[in-house]
This record gives sequence, C-alpha cells and structure tokens, in this order.
Amino acid sequence: MTTYRLQVNGKQHAVDLDPDTPLLYVLRNELELNGAKFGCGLGQCGSCTVLVDGKSVMSCLVPVSAVGGRAVRTVEGLGSVDKPGVLQQAFIDEQAAQCGYCIAGMIMQATALLEKTPAPTDAQIRTHMSPNLCRCGTHMRILRAVRRAADVLAKQAAGAKG
Amino acid sequence: MNQPRRRRHVGRWLLAACIVIACVAFAIMWRPAIAPLAAIPTFDQTRIERGANLARLGMCASCHTPDLAKPFAGGKPMETPFGIVHSTNITPDNDTGIGRWSQEAFTRSMRKGVSRDGHLLYPAFPYNHYTRMTQADIDDLYAYFMTRPALHAPARDNQMTFPFGLRPLVAFWNVLYLDDAPWQTDPKQSAEWNRGAYLADAVAHCAACHTPRTMLGGPDLSRPLDGGEADDWYAPALNARSPSPLPWTREQLHAYLRSGIAEDHAAAGGPMQDVVTHLAQADERDVAALAAWTHSHLAQAPARTTPAQQSASLPAPKADDPDLQRMQAGYALYANACARCHDAGRSPSSGAALPLQKAVALYDPDPRSLIHIVDDGIAPPDGEPGRWMPGYETILTDEQTGALAAYLRKYGAGQPAWPELNDAVRKARAP
Repeated sequence: MTTYRLQVNGKQHAVDLDPDTPLLYVLRNELELNGAKFGCGLGQCGSCTVLVDGKSVMSCLVPVSAVGGRAVRTVEGLGSVDKPGVLQQAFIDEQAAQCGYCIAGMIMQATALLEKTPAPTDAQIRTHMSPNLCRCGTHMRILRAVRRAADVLAKQAAGAKG
Repeated sequence: MNQPRRRRHVGRWLLAACIVIACVAFAIMWRPAIAPLAAIPTFDQTRIERGANLARLGMCASCHTPDLAKPFAGGKPMETPFGIVHSTNITPDNDTGIGRWSQEAFTRSMRKGVSRDGHLLYPAFPYNHYTRMTQADIDDLYAYFMTRPALHAPARDNQMTFPFGLRPLVAFWNVLYLDDAPWQTDPKQSAEWNRGAYLADAVAHCAACHTPRTMLGGPDLSRPLDGGEADDWYAPALNARSPSPLPWTREQLHAYLRSGIAEDHAAAGGPMQDVVTHLAQADERDVAALAAWTHSHLAQAPARTTPAQQSASLPAPKADDPDLQRMQAGYALYANACARCHDAGRSPSSGAALPLQKAVALYDPDPRSLIHIVDDGIAPPDGEPGRWMPGYETILTDEQTGALAAYLRKYGAGQPAWPELNDAVRKARAP
C-alpha cells in the first residue's frame, strides 16, 4: 500500500492504495464518484472516460501510480442536477441516452474536444467520439448533442465579446 | 601581352559551355504539352474492372482520396523533407481533373512523371515505380479513372521550401532515379513469384517506404528493401535484415496483407493499415502473389528469438539491472496497463492481443513505430472494421512512455537499448 495524493474535480484527496489500482476503481470505490462506469476494463468501450490534465483517458487503463499530481476531472465536476453544465444540458435537450451507461464517458470525451476545439466540424466530432461505444444505438443523438453544445458555447462566447 | 587574349579565350569557352549547359538543361527539363482530349471515349467493362483491381493494388486512393465522400478528388497534404505536396484530382473533370487527358498523356504521367500540360510532377507521385507497368495495365487504369464520377476539385497550393518550388528541378531527380527500363521477368522463378515481384515493384511500390531514401529523397538503390520510413513510422526491412522476431511464413504474410492481422504473429499499424485496407479489396490471387514474393525475401531473415522465449510472460526487471528504477517503472506500466490485454494468462480477462515479445516494433532499429503505437493506439481506418487499441498519449508522460519502451526493448525483445530514446518520445509527441 502506498499513499497517493490525487486532485479530482479541484479537490485534494489522499488515498492508500496498491500502485496498480486503476484510476477508475479509485474514483468509484474510494472517492464514491460513480459517474465513470466500468464497461469492459480493456479500453475498448470508453464508458470510463475521464479527463486527466484536460485530455480524455480511459480510467480503467490508468494505474493510479501513473496519475501523479495531474488534475483529474469527472462528469460530477461539470455540473449538478439543478445546474447542469452546457454539455450535460445538451444531452438532456437531445435526449441523447437510452440506458445511459455510456453517457458520462461520452460527455467527458466531448468535453475534451470542445475545450480544445470550440468550433469542431461534424467530421471532427465523429472522429473524436469514435473510441466511445453506445450499444443502444443512440450515436446520432449523441452527435447532435455535441453539436448543440458547441453551438451554445459559440453563442456564449459571442455574447461575452459583444 | 598574352594575358588579355587568354582571358578572351577563356571567356569564349565559358560562354560556349554555358550555352551547352543551358541547352542540355532545357532538353532535360522541358516537356511539351499534349493536345487536350475532345471527348472521353467509352471503355470495355472488363478493362475498367482490371483497372479497378490495379488501382487497389497501387493504393491510388491512399493519397488521392483523403475524403471518402470524394473518391480520387485529391487534396491530401503530404509532408516531405522538401515541403508539403498535395495530391491532385484524378477524376475525369475537364477543368480540375484529368478529363482532357488522352491515353498518351496519362501514359506519359505514369512513365515519366509529366503532367498533360508539360509540367513535371513531384516524385511524391511514385512514377519511378509505375514507369515499369505494362502498357496494358496502364491502359486499364486509364479506363478505370476516366469512368469515375467527375468531381470539381482544384489542386491545392504546395508549400515547398526554396528552391524545391521550381518544378523543372525535378528533371535532375529523374536523371538520378527514374529508371524506365521495361519490367523483366525472372525465368528462374515461378509465374506466381514473378507476378508478385511485378506487382510489388511496378504497382504496389512497396520499396517507396521499405527502402531507405537518400538525402535527395530518392531510393537508396544500394540498399533495396533495407527498411525505410513512412509518416515517421519505421517501415521494416523486407530482406535478411527483417527485424521480425520469428520468421514469417507465407500463410502469415498472406493473411497479414489481406487483413492486417497474422494470428499470433503481427498486427498492422500506422501507414500499413491503409495498405492492407486496399489489398483487402484487390484480387486475392494477386495478394497471394505479393505474399509469395515478399516471403522469398523475408525467408532470408534469421529468427531473433526462440519460440520458448516467445511464449513466456514478460519478467520483472533483474535486481542488478543498472537502470533498475526506470526498468521497474516501465515494468509497472506494462503490468498494469498493457498486460491486461497483451499478456494472456496474467489475468483472466486478458484477451487476444499480441504478446509483446512477438511485436516486431520492439525489434525495430529505432523506437518510432513503438512510440506511435503506444501513443496513438491502433484504430482501423475510418469506416473499416478492425482491431482497436486505445492510445496512451493522454495517459503516459514522456518519461513514462520512455520507461515503458526501454523495459519492453530489454525484457520483451532482449535487444540492446535504443539510443536517444527519450528524445525520440519527445519528437514523436511534438505538435
């Protein structure tokens, strides 16, 4: 067991863990942040996607020892039920979920895209989202939700400037 | 007294030499335009189909179709040491494509690298290979391209570094590297081998990536198939210098060229994925011929490891390893991230991914391909099915990736350390 200091959604945590514990297990079991889901455990489905230093990672594949002091963000850091973030609201507006298991990962994957590329083309959205699978077949709604969020953010940016 | 006269003599000789050089240079560089085609002729369906097969074997779409919605409309930027060259529109559009190209003009472009209007094409277009195609094959390709839907797509401006923006200079490259002697079959070899040799050289242009290049960007003809590069990936040697840990069988090569996967032996990554996507759609007999020819070269390579070493789990670093800390860091990353898929038996969920001591990238003379696979993973080309490995660029720091590569090189492949490994990681990750 080793003590690791993790920064998650802006808060510092100290956790005693085996070095090979995947980040996903730390988030769900130790910190009780259950947004990120365990899907395949092999980096094949994307339901465990979170952000590390602003980049999307599949947290089931990240040993906690590899995270270091880098900032981790999960879907819980984007907003709340009362005050959803822009992407969360866009997913609600497009009703872009059926069973919902993949959605936290989808939203975090989309967050990584929009923070780096605020005005993505449809092709960029498709390529960026391609690692994340939805087995209910809601992909078209998910793509629309990302598009909607990008448009909302563009309007907000224009409003802030004007 | 004598001096002025001698000077005048020298002056005359210099002038004469300049005129001769100018004439020779003009003769080397200048090519006439070929009269535009009045109307596109009709073609026999079997010719079109043969042309389609050749286009797949030649992987024309790999450069000329960057956008699947616009087949052969060109526009793909290609980074070369001499600047950025864009592929062009080879659909039969009259204004922006090859709609006004006669068969003669098309043949000249394939054999000599000259556009219909007489300007020289950059050798990013591998006419130094296509020049050895049979006339019948060039004619069939012409039939195929002239019957594709015409798309309007003007050529994009190239960004060449000085002085390579001057196309006539390509003429001197052609003097050095354009060998347009017709293809010769080898009577000592089988018909299938000869078919494969012809396809590999004149059509699929394997050597464009698998033979190293000279400073001038031409093939290093003293080192055929000795291993080259493509898009910053190492393209392995296809001869006795092949880094493959266990020698290829012909069946494995056939499966690999057809699907990108040779079960328990190799999986295609990087630019080679694109190659197998095209070969998957070509005539299977031609792919078998390519495998037969490739195998005849690869069979000269010795085994780099034994099958016993190949089947063991990767070990922890030895306690007396001089680079113990780094090796332990690499091993921890291997065990906690890679092994879950790549080390069958280590954990119950580990699956069908290639055991890493079988991965050729660990045995390459430089670490570029391994770093790219670790960073970017392996994803099938857009819209194609295939193996999917997640990329670790967003997960691992430069130091972690370096440690992982160093561990895999030593304890996976048992090969001497790559020099400048950390620099290679940084360079591969530079934006």
